[in-house]
Amino acid sequence: MDGSKVTLGRTAGLYAGAAVLRLALFTLFPGLPDLLTGRVEISTPVTSFKRLQEGLFLYNHNVSPYDGGVYHQAPLLLPLFSLLPSFATLPIFTYLLYIAVDLASASALIKIADSGEAGSSALFTSPRRQKRWSGFIVAAVFLFNPFTVATCIGRSTSVFTTAAILHAIAKAVAGAPFSAMVAISFASYLSMYPLLLLPPLLLLCYDRQPTSRAVKSGYQFATTNIGVVIAVLGALFQMSYFMTGSWEFLPSTYGVQLTLSDLTPNIGLWWYFFIEMFDSFRSFFLAVFWLHLSCYVGGLSIRIRRQPLVVLTLLLGLFAIFKPYPSISDASLFLAMVPLYRHVFPLMRYTFVIAAVIMYTTFLGPAFYHLWIYAGSGNANFFYAITLVWGLGLSLLVCDLTFAVLRDEWEVERPEMVGKDIRQI
Amino acid sequence: MPARRQIDNGAASAKTTSSQATVSSIAAPNAPSNGGVADTTSTRKQPPPEKPSDVRRRTYVILSFWVIVVLLGLPIWWETTTIYRANLPLSEMLDWADGKACRPVFPLRISIQANSLHEQEAQNLLRLTQHALDDLNDFSGHHLRLQLSPPAAKETEKDDDGAALTIRLIPGESTTSTLDPYAPILDITYPPHTIPSPSSSSSSLATYVATQLRTTFAEEQAIISYLLSSHSMPSDHRPQGLTPEAADSLSKRTTRSLKYAPTYHLTFSLFTSGPLPSSWDIEAAIAEFMKPVLDVLSPIHNFTIDTQVQLYATPGVQSQVLTKEDLSSFINAAEWPLSPSIGGAPTINFIVFVGNQTIHAAPQGTADETDRTSQSWLIPQWGTVYLLPLPSDTTHVSAEKLKQSLLTFTSHLLSLTGTPQSGSLPLRLSTLARIRSADLLLRASSTLGSLARLALALPSISIPESVADGVSTTMSHLRLACETLGGPEGLAHARVAEAEAERAFFEKSMVGQLYFPDEHKLAVYIPLLGPVGVPLLLGLLNEIKAWRKRRRERAEHAAKKRE
Repeated sequence: MDGSKVTLGRTAGLYAGAAVLRLALFTLFPGLPDLLTGRVEISTPVTSFKRLQEGLFLYNHNVSPYDGGVYHQAPLLLPLFSLLPSFATLPIFTYLLYIAVDLASASALIKIADSGEAGSSALFTSPRRQKRWSGFIVAAVFLFNPFTVATCIGRSTSVFTTAAILHAIAKAVAGAPFSAMVAISFASYLSMYPLLLLPPLLLLCYDRQPTSRAVKSGYQFATTNIGVVIAVLGALFQMSYFMTGSWEFLPSTYGVQLTLSDLTPNIGLWWYFFIEMFDSFRSFFLAVFWLHLSCYVGGLSIRIRRQPLVVLTLLLGLFAIFKPYPSISDASLFLAMVPLYRHVFPLMRYTFVIAAVIMYTTFLGPAFYHLWIYAGSGNANFFYAITLVWGLGLSLLVCDLTFAVLRDEWEVERPEMVGKDIRQI
Repeated sequence: MPARRQIDNGAASAKTTSSQATVSSIAAPNAPSNGGVADTTSTRKQPPPEKPSDVRRRTYVILSFWVIVVLLGLPIWWETTTIYRANLPLSEMLDWADGKACRPVFPLRISIQANSLHEQEAQNLLRLTQHALDDLNDFSGHHLRLQLSPPAAKETEKDDDGAALTIRLIPGESTTSTLDPYAPILDITYPPHTIPSPSSSSSSLATYVATQLRTTFAEEQAIISYLLSSHSMPSDHRPQGLTPEAADSLSKRTTRSLKYAPTYHLTFSLFTSGPLPSSWDIEAAIAEFMKPVLDVLSPIHNFTIDTQVQLYATPGVQSQVLTKEDLSSFINAAEWPLSPSIGGAPTINFIVFVGNQTIHAAPQGTADETDRTSQSWLIPQWGTVYLLPLPSDTTHVSAEKLKQSLLTFTSHLLSLTGTPQSGSLPLRLSTLARIRSADLLLRASSTLGSLARLALALPSISIPESVADGVSTTMSHLRLACETLGGPEGLAHARVAEAEAERAFFEKSMVGQLYFPDEHKLAVYIPLLGPVGVPLLLGLLNEIKAWRKRRRERAEHAAKKRE
């Protein structure tokens, strides 16, 4: 896999191929976008394109988009979409926007892969780093991943978050902390959960500072950059406030994620749990679930301090499993980051099981959802069981990747143990 | 995530020293197959000691989890699961329920008009009658107090002082008494010679008046004493003179009447067995025959009214002659559109059934069938059915034809609302107001008592602020109602008190958690927090153990050095 010499032509071809595939799917199967938009695996209450259109309609008629309790997405998406020609008459512009966002994500991914950060960071250099995939292949895996394609065709607004997160990482790797902070602020503004990526992203920025204007004091570096994030978020909130005329958007967007007030089924683990939950314990368990989601940040950042990009990858995987409204778009983001670790793939132990489980759930999930909702011959437990297996598959991948990365680190310390069986004591 | 991932060779540390020889002999031939990366001795030796930086890092990782648990988790747990219990005045509430807080007294003022008597004579008569009344009365809660209305008082202002009854003493031939049917007035005629002389200590006229008064109020007294005895009133307030038979008939009457509600919904339905008649003059009939009674009931109840016509209605019983057993199944509950309750108000159904069925007269007119005429019957707590025979070609039922049925409905409405049966209508209504206020007062008190007992019995039930508010409103209104019992504002306060008490008792957030024992909490917490908590706890314990070991070793080391 020689990918160090990626010509411009090859990349352009890749982009063209991905764009043509998406355009073909949009235009040759006119029913497909709406079919995918309606799937719970793709559209969650906080990313659904249908709900976005509802909010857009209200916004264009000078009604607060949050009236009616359907729209739960960031307010600034509305002017963006109302600038486009109307979706009803000229949908092609919306399609082009989504395709462009996907390509932007891919270009960020190429930058991350070509920087070689995955194989050798500031504090750690893997002995296996030579065996890696080029940015071209990593981007191709992302662009032609069925999950990514389905998310794009389903026009879920999570693609914007994905692009923002990937750009934040790419900028951090490129040694531009300010741009990285701005990008992660946009991601947090759109979906809130990316704010939890801030600590490892700060570490990554700190490690990759250009030597010419490096800030030595970690404390000062962190304060400055957190200040940038707060300032950008404050500006975005202020703009949203001016646009909608009230602070109503805060409870309608972030409040919904925090309190899980919309219990539409999705591929995550929350909805079923909170359908069954006793009302008096609901707020407690909401807090427990959110703390559970956020408690990995500290532990992973400390343990794998030498490779912050690994922490980011693992956190993205954990969010794809444990966030309140996950969709396959989150899984596709995680699966886009995993190929960066091609060099530790030989150390992974369950690749076959993981691939089998993910494929099994990909096919059975929609089938069981159909049995439950449309055929009526199944019940909610069918679908929930499949989402549990999906979560299991992804968490196996997270665990196995963690294991492989740690073993890679450990073999540097104990070169005599390379290739031997190990066990935990 | 595993907080700690110490990796080492599987073969090495699992073996004890005694078995090392065997292992080495087996391992030795395998050594070359390992490609010479590691020699055989290294597979058997203990793993090298951890680096201090690794130990410190592990401590930080474990701490990072525990910081979140302790700084965020515990306060949130405390904040979200503590049960809010507003302070309730429990002992006062129980006092109300036990009847210690209020002694229900109905001071009824009876004014005597004796225009033909001298002031002196009238005063004397009044004193003697009051004596006679007090001698007769065995129930301190129901208290009749006589007063002399000024001789100049004229008809126009006779009842503006709130007297429950006015006695008009009129000279006449013999001692008789008649109750005015339209006003609370008792006319008593007396022969002039029966006026007691100022010195006499007893008088037949006084005794007569007292007895008449007592008979007039006997039913009210019985009902109120029955109410008090059926609630948990202390025995000294309880009247003694209630015979079991009287109590029995009273309980029958109270079960027949509807539970008190500020508003009743009246549904008038015309059911016909065939296509005719298809219209009726119900509005005019109601306005003419029923409205007057509804108007006089309006201080106690509000009424809403709707009407409906249903053709080809099949009754539940098809037989031509209805026997007593058939009456209970006559209503075709499955097909007739009689909704149980519209809005919040209980519904009273009045049904006019046009058909050719008749009611079979009971073999002997027993006492408990007094409500049944040959054409109608009363269904307890539900309403009335009236069978209206009409010529088969009648298309329209005029108001005049509805007169008899509506008069029946009116009298049944009175008994469904719990109006006493004896006496003139004004007296019956004022009695109804007093009975209802006593009833509401007792009901609100006992609801308070139940709430207090509930709060005491279930220490884990949450008591929101709204319940405490409701209780305090109830108690203040109960206090006011108790002071003004017998008057119209007493009824108003009792109504508010009862509504507030019910609202407090059936508070939604409380009812949901009525039964939630501690074992359930275990079942809520363990499935999720158990698996999460075990690794966290074990990690912390191991860390503490290792820290203590290190400290001991350091101490030993220092001690050795000093030696």
